[in-house]
Amino acid sequence: MSKELHNTKANSESKHVSLTPYVVGFLLSLLFTFIPYYLVVNKALDGSTLLAAILGCAMVQLVIQVVFFLHLGREKKPHFNLVFLIGTIGTIAFIVIASIWIMGHLHHNMSATDVTDKIASDEAVHQVSGNQVGTCSGVGVNHKIELTNETVTPIHVDAKQCDTITLTNKSDATREIRFGTPEDPETYAGEKGETIRTGRNKIFTLTELGAHTFHDPINGISGDFTVQQ
Amino acid sequence: MVAEHEVESHEEAANDRVGFGFWVYLMTDLLMFAVLFAAFAVLRDSTAGGPGGQELFKLPFVLVETLILLTSSFTAGIGMLAAHRGIKSQVLTWFGLTFCLGLAFLGMELYEFAEFIHEGHTWQSSASLSSFFALVGTHGLHITSGLLWMGTALVFIWKRGLNAPLVRKLTLLSLFWHFLDIVWIFIFTVVYLMAFV
Repeated sequence: MSKELHNTKANSESKHVSLTPYVVGFLLSLLFTFIPYYLVVNKALDGSTLLAAILGCAMVQLVIQVVFFLHLGREKKPHFNLVFLIGTIGTIAFIVIASIWIMGHLHHNMSATDVTDKIASDEAVHQVSGNQVGTCSGVGVNHKIELTNETVTPIHVDAKQCDTITLTNKSDATREIRFGTPEDPETYAGEKGETIRTGRNKIFTLTELGAHTFHDPINGISGDFTVQQ
Repeated sequence: MVAEHEVESHEEAANDRVGFGFWVYLMTDLLMFAVLFAAFAVLRDSTAGGPGGQELFKLPFVLVETLILLTSSFTAGIGMLAAHRGIKSQVLTWFGLTFCLGLAFLGMELYEFAEFIHEGHTWQSSASLSSFFALVGTHGLHITSGLLWMGTALVFIWKRGLNAPLVRKLTLLSLFWHFLDIVWIFIFTVVYLMAFV
């Protein structure tokens, strides 16, 4: 672009890049800054339409700045800069969209809490906040407990230490299972309880001995289990 | 001003190469921003129980920041026109103005950071804030280096007057500045506006 200084074409070129594109570009940029701002502040559109609108404005803004400020495509052919920009935008779209897509799926299938629970359950080491709550090597019998809208089946489980209990949520809402009673909450194996989404299940290892109860404060269902040596 | 034709075309070709080389740098820089954007997009909701963007960000403040940076991009363009016409005083005025606007923008960005940290929302608070500080902070670092570059270029122009190599440097600098403006538009949209959608 600085060739204007030296080139014999200098005069015609500097007329070519005049004040006008900058002013036009600036005004259009302002416009496409205020539009999305207005839309968001006044909640003029809803959800995904709003999202599409403001992202659209950003893309228009990109084109405006590239055309009016960077004067891309004005250089003599071949347009290496333009080609390189388009290639880069393609790569960026790929990186961003693929990251969101893949991480979204990962999160949907296993949230960070799920991962922690899985590792704790696999290792059967329930040491939480520095409190050793017992370890198990090898796993015993698995007891299945189903949670429905009205009740827990079976309502009582007799188990030996290092057995496991699988809680399956057969109800049509997320169940917040808490150990103890609503009046007297307790922790079991260092956990306050488990959050189980509809159709999912949670496994926990019975490391602590004694009689324990659990309940769901939301719909009031409860059950208990006894762990013996 | 018209030098020998051969020398001219030689220099022109060199300028083209420098321009393209700088463009390649800008595009790789853009890729780095893309990764930071992707990280932010993935981690934005991982607030570890802390406040999200909706509670933290003040949109009117960010709008002012955006307008300042947009205007600075515009003044840099006007400064470039003056540079091509070889008018030193105008170059100093417009780029001086750009420098001040850039400084104001950086000040606002740092003020926002300081406010968050003062309220206890640091980059250590959550993955969401880590990615926020990484993305916006990287942009701020670019602005800082752009200001240093602009400052030294202005001192050179003031002392030595406009010459071809300096105009070439200004060309690259204005390219860099417009580029930072474009990146900020996406930060404005993706980080700030999208927090309220």
